[in-house]
Formats: sequence, structure tokens, C-alpha cells
Amino acid sequence: MTAKTKLQGLATAAGFALALFVGGATTASAEDVTLHMAVPDWPPTRIMKKYFDEQYKPPSGNKVILDVDFIPWPDFYTRVNASLTSGEKKYNMSVADSQWLGAFVEGGYFRKVNDYIEADPALAKTMADIHPSFYNAYSTYPYTSKNIYGFPQFPDVLVTYGRKDILCDAGEQAAFLAKFNSKLPCTGEEIDAMDWTAFENVGKFFQRKKGEMLAGKPLDDDFYGIAFQAGKGYDFSSMQINGFIWQEGGDIWDETKIPDGKAEGVVNSPQAIKGLAHYLSLIQYMPPVAKTGTMDIFKSDELFREGKVAMNIDWIGLGEASLDPKTSKVSDKLVFGLPPGTKGADGKLVRWNNLGGQPFVFTTWNSDLQNKEGMEFVKWWLSPAIQNQFAAGGGQSAVKSVYSDPKYVTYRPWNRAWAAALDWQKDVWHVPQFFELLTQQQDQFDLAITGKQDAKTTLDNVAKFQQDLLSTAGLIK
Amino acid sequence: MSAITPTTPVPGLFEIQAHNWKLAILVGLIVSVLSMFALPPEAAFWITGAMAAMVAAAFVVNAYRRHYYGGLLVAPAIAVLFVMNIFPLLWSLGLSFFAYQSNQQTIRFVGLTNYTKVLTDSLKAPENWANLTNTAMFVVLTVTAQMIVGFLLALMFAKQFPLRKYLLILVLTPMMLSVVAAGVFFSYYYDPTFGLLSYFIRLFTGEQFILMDNKAGAVAGIVFADAWMWSPFVMLLVLAGLVSVPKYLYEAAAIDRVSGWRRFWSITFPYIRGLLMLALLFRTIEAFKMADLVILLTKGGNGTMTISYHLIRIANEQNKTSEGAAISYVMLFIVIVLTNLYLYIANRRTEGA
Repeated sequence: MTAKTKLQGLATAAGFALALFVGGATTASAEDVTLHMAVPDWPPTRIMKKYFDEQYKPPSGNKVILDVDFIPWPDFYTRVNASLTSGEKKYNMSVADSQWLGAFVEGGYFRKVNDYIEADPALAKTMADIHPSFYNAYSTYPYTSKNIYGFPQFPDVLVTYGRKDILCDAGEQAAFLAKFNSKLPCTGEEIDAMDWTAFENVGKFFQRKKGEMLAGKPLDDDFYGIAFQAGKGYDFSSMQINGFIWQEGGDIWDETKIPDGKAEGVVNSPQAIKGLAHYLSLIQYMPPVAKTGTMDIFKSDELFREGKVAMNIDWIGLGEASLDPKTSKVSDKLVFGLPPGTKGADGKLVRWNNLGGQPFVFTTWNSDLQNKEGMEFVKWWLSPAIQNQFAAGGGQSAVKSVYSDPKYVTYRPWNRAWAAALDWQKDVWHVPQFFELLTQQQDQFDLAITGKQDAKTTLDNVAKFQQDLLSTAGLIK
Repeated sequence: MSAITPTTPVPGLFEIQAHNWKLAILVGLIVSVLSMFALPPEAAFWITGAMAAMVAAAFVVNAYRRHYYGGLLVAPAIAVLFVMNIFPLLWSLGLSFFAYQSNQQTIRFVGLTNYTKVLTDSLKAPENWANLTNTAMFVVLTVTAQMIVGFLLALMFAKQFPLRKYLLILVLTPMMLSVVAAGVFFSYYYDPTFGLLSYFIRLFTGEQFILMDNKAGAVAGIVFADAWMWSPFVMLLVLAGLVSVPKYLYEAAAIDRVSGWRRFWSITFPYIRGLLMLALLFRTIEAFKMADLVILLTKGGNGTMTISYHLIRIANEQNKTSEGAAISYVMLFIVIVLTNLYLYIANRRTEGA
């Protein structure tokens, strides 16, 4: 290498460095911000990512990248739990089931976001417009306190899925009227008005063997009237049983009454036992897989889509597949309504149910910039335009101004039940012991569902366990 | 240089030499212990790791200088084994003496409390015991089924017949499938509405057949699925034994007009006994750990909860790391006792023969 080329090299390098420096100075105001997010792999999160990539323009001028890990549902809790507790600090945001809040807030993983909301009046206004059922369940910890942790990603409730072709068949209508002296529910409004007795009658009425007639045609397989979740896994019976217990006037252990609220005497109160017994009495009218303890939300949905049942109570979140002719044999025969209620003393229906869906949350190790950009993203996500677009694409919105808009019910056939259902939603516990409480309860409910023990024994066992566990944890005095 | 180990003198304890592994251990211990007391836990962790690496390096240099090439060749394997198996094993053993939950930031020494809780607590112990009994039941049933089916299959495939090669591949496929695929397949197979089993039984009874609504049915379902997957494994091992029996022994036996039964016990069995014991050992250890099929088929319902699935719930879902570690060590102890019992019986039989 000659001295001349050396000099040339130096000059180039200096020029390059200068360019970098100047370039750096000019782009200092527009930084790259990456938000790593853990979400379950299903349409509501896929849609969110799609909208973000196509439409989101950060008001700060920064370049914001939403790096999303789509994790299959059955693995979702395990993966998020492992990532958070291992200390790898990988995710800045995560979708979480509302019940996880306590466990991860107490562990120091989920960040309280009151400061960002207070600093941003527009965001505070949006938060005030979220329906209180969802706001309390998704955002607050301790439940109904002032501490805010999450924002609705995909809010969800239970609805009744019905088969119009069978329910509205003239022959079946006449036979049902003759047998039960009441009209077989056929329209959405008639399904809305159902109580559990009407639901049970549908169950009794449509339990038919292969070869018998259904809506004027001989059946090529056994047929059943009703289905709802009665599975041992995750929360696949509690989410339905809680509704029965609340509707009968019973209660689950109430975390808002810490430390004076008890489990024993509440969880196994006569009303709660009546609720569970009512739930159990309906299992006999369901497809036989319910007797094995594996009828989870996916199984009952599959049975409905395969045309084996007349009515199914399930989450809206699973609804898209039943509308799609590729995955559903009943896609053109659907009618939706509220889940059945229990007649109260005043003759009106009591409709308490457990809400579903998921919030998304921020983690504690984010930089201030990441949090700020994340909040902008949240604000954009909860803005009416995007929420409407999301609902039209198969999502749901917890924002009042969005779902009370008349065009909301036109997006999907089940949306007619949405607004009416929201006032009747409660949630299961959010305390850190949530998973232990749930596992034990699911095991006990499974014993009852599979006919090994009655409702009283079941709730006595649940109450005893909860009293013991929660007393040890200091949540019951 | 000769192949014989050169007699490098053993260095004195305090002589600073790269191969002075005794000094390395001493320094490593002192520095590690000091760092644990003086430094924050994260720094102490890495310093202790570095000390372990230094001791390992001293061993390697020592082995190299003394021409212990055999030792050097297995060293990488041992290092991997240590990092991936032995270290986590010891770490979790340590954790089982603390009150620690992976989703909380506190840790407290509690001695044997976790073990006494697992074994004697009025709420937990009966559940653990029931799960252990279920596990024992699965071990006995699945291993028996696999040994019998696998053995019979091996006897069949030891003979020559048309299409043997292709049938053999077909019989081996279940073993190569992922358990999840097999589990989903069987859950549909047993489903009363969609399932093949229910379909065929209904041809005779006219009723949908619900297999998994009672303990006997649920256990039968799981045992069948497990036997379907793992009998080929037993077959493969036994088959290897069968083809290794010298032909001339059978020819001699034929000349002596020995009965088929006697031929089996005196010629075939001694050749395959070792491999049978091996298959038995492998399958027992595996069956003891069964959780996957249970999760996929019953979620532990109808009296099919196994101790492994229980452990997954405790340690992974509920984040009760210490309690989980205590249960695993109780399990490990049982498995080790069982294995040694097997080996003892196997060895005694061999000596007796």
C-alpha cells in the first residue's frame, strides 16, 4: 500500500464518519422503537397486527415496529409465564387473560400505567368510555381498584348459537308447542327471552336417535338439543358454572371483600349448590362426550359446526369458524341470542355470566420511550375508527361509543346480543392464587360432571380448599 | 515421545502450575464462597461459573500433560452433561429446600418443609398419593401390554414371510409419530359422536359408545394408545435378540427332537433375556413419567391423573417451583430404587443361570 492510497483511505474513512455523524444528528429526533408483544395466535390478534402494519402512523414521527410473537392458544399461558418468570425480559407488551393480572402484577412483571393515562387526557377519556364490566376485569388490580394495568384487546362474552333451519321448522314448532305448551324459540328475540327451563326443553325435545325424523328429514346420526362447556381443562366448566351460581343468587369467593370475605359458607351456599345442580341436570341432554369431561369450548363448537346440536352456548371468539362454509356445515342457518337467564322473584330474567376475552398489558422493564409509543398505539387501537374497523373484521369492542353506534349490530350476526349482555358480566378472581383455585375447582367440577359426586359435595370440597389456601395466603382473615 | 505417560512430578498444593488442579479447586472454592457473601447474586453466579470453568481447565491441562487422551476425548461430553443435566439437577435439589415461587422475587430457606408438606400435608399428601397410585397402575398396565404385544410381534417378524419388510416399516411407524399427533388421533378415535370405535360398536348395539366416561374405560383408552405407540420399541429390541440366536443351536435341538417349548426356554430365552430386561427398564422409566397422553386424552379426569401431570401443574402452571422440585426428587428416588431392584434381579438371574 502506497502513502497516497493510505491518505485516500483515511480521507474516505473521515468522510464516512462525518456522514454518519451528521446523519445521526438529523435522525436523532426520529428513533426506531421496537415493541415486542406476545399474543395468542387467532384472528383478533392477526387482524390487529395487520392493521398496525398497514395503517399505523406514530404521531411522534418515530419509526415504531410491532414485533409480534403469535403463540398457539394451548401453549399461550405456559409460554408467557415461562418468559416472564425466567427473567429474559423479552416482551414489552403481552395479551393476558384477565385472571392472570394478580399473579403477574404481584410478581413485578406487569406495569401500572396510571401515570401515562393521567398525562394523556385523550387516553383517559377513552378509558372512561370502556364498559365498566370490561374496565374492571381487564384494567384494574386489585379488582375494581383505581390501579390500571390493561386495555381491552379482544373483549368477549358468551352467546347462544342456534340452528334456524331446525328451530324454525313448522313441524318442529307445532310438535314443541303441543309437548311443552310454549313456542319453540326461533328468532334472535325469542332466544334472548329464554330461561334455563326453555333451554332444557329444547334439550329434551331434540334428543333424537339415528333414523328418527328431524325437521322433516331422517337423521343419519344421533342428534342433540343443547351443548355448553363442561370440560376439565383450563376454565372450560367454571366459565359456565359461575353464571348458574350468580343467577341463582349465589356467589364465588369475592375478592373485593378481602380480608373479611369467606369462602366456606359462600362458595357452598345453598344458592350456589342449587346453581351447580341446575348446571349438572342439563348435561344429560348433551352429546355424550360431555359425560367424559372433555367437552371444552372447542368440542361443543365443533359439534355445533358439524350439525350435531340445535343450540350451543359459547364465546363469540369462536364464532367466525361457524360462519365460514369451509369449516361449518351450518354456516347459512345461524341465529344468535343472549344466553338463557334465570327468572328472578320479579319475573324478570337474571342474566349474570362470566365475561371472557383478553386485555393487553405493559411490562415493567420497558424504557420510557417504549411505554410512550405503546400508549400511542393503545390510543390508536381504541380509537373509534380502528375499533369499528376491528369489529367489522370480526373483532369486538368494549368502547361504548363504538358498540352503541347503530351500525355495530350489522357487522356480525351475534352483535345484536352484545350491548345487552355487557351489563350482566362479572369476572372470576384475579388474585395471584388464581391458577391453584381454578385447577382445584375444575378437578372438582369434573368429578361432578362425570357423575362421581353431587353438587353439594363438590362445592363443599371447593370451599374447604379455598378457605384453607386463601387463609394461608392472608386473603381471608 | 513414547505412548507411556511421562512421569511429570505431581505439583505441590501451592505450586502455581496450569495443571495444579488441587490448587484450582481450592482457589475456586474460596473465591466462589467469598463472592456469594460479598457480591450481588447475579455477579456471584457468573464468578462461580468462571471458577468452575477454571477448575475444568486445570483438569484438561493436567490430562493433556499426562497424556490421558482417553479422558480428554470424553471431556466435551462430560462438560455438556454437566452444564445441561447435572448442574440443573443440583440447582433444583437446592431449590427444594427453599420456599421459592418462580413468579415471585422472594426466596427463603425452609429446610425439609417442602418434603414434609408433599408427603404428610392433610390436603396435599392424599392427592399426591392417589396420583402416585394411578401412575403405578399405568406403569404395570402399559409396560405389561407393551412387553406382551412387542414380544409377540417380534416372534412373528423373526420368521420370513411375504411382505415382511413392508409390514415391519408399517408396524414401526407409531413409534416415530409425535405423541401429540397420536393423542389427537386417539381422542377422535374414542369420541362417541365422531369416533370410529363408537361407529363400529354401534353397528352391533345401535347405541353410541362412550369409552372414556368411567375409570376403567379411560385407563383402557390411555393404555391402548400407549401400547400402540411403544410396543414396536419392545419389538425392535427383542427382534435384535432373536436374530442373534445361532441357527445351529436350533438345528441341534431339532436333531435331539426337543419340544418347541423347551427350545424356547433353553435356547431363545437366554439370548433375549438381557434385551427384554433393557426394554422393561426403558419402558418402566418412561411409563413412570407419563403425562402427555393423559393431558391429551382425559386432562387427568376419571381417575387418570398421574404424578407427572400433577407435577407439571404444580411447577409450570402454578409456579410453585420448590414444591415441584420436592415432588420430583421423591419421584427420582422411587425410580432409582425401582431401577436398581430390576438390575439386581436381572444380575441375580444371570449368575444363577
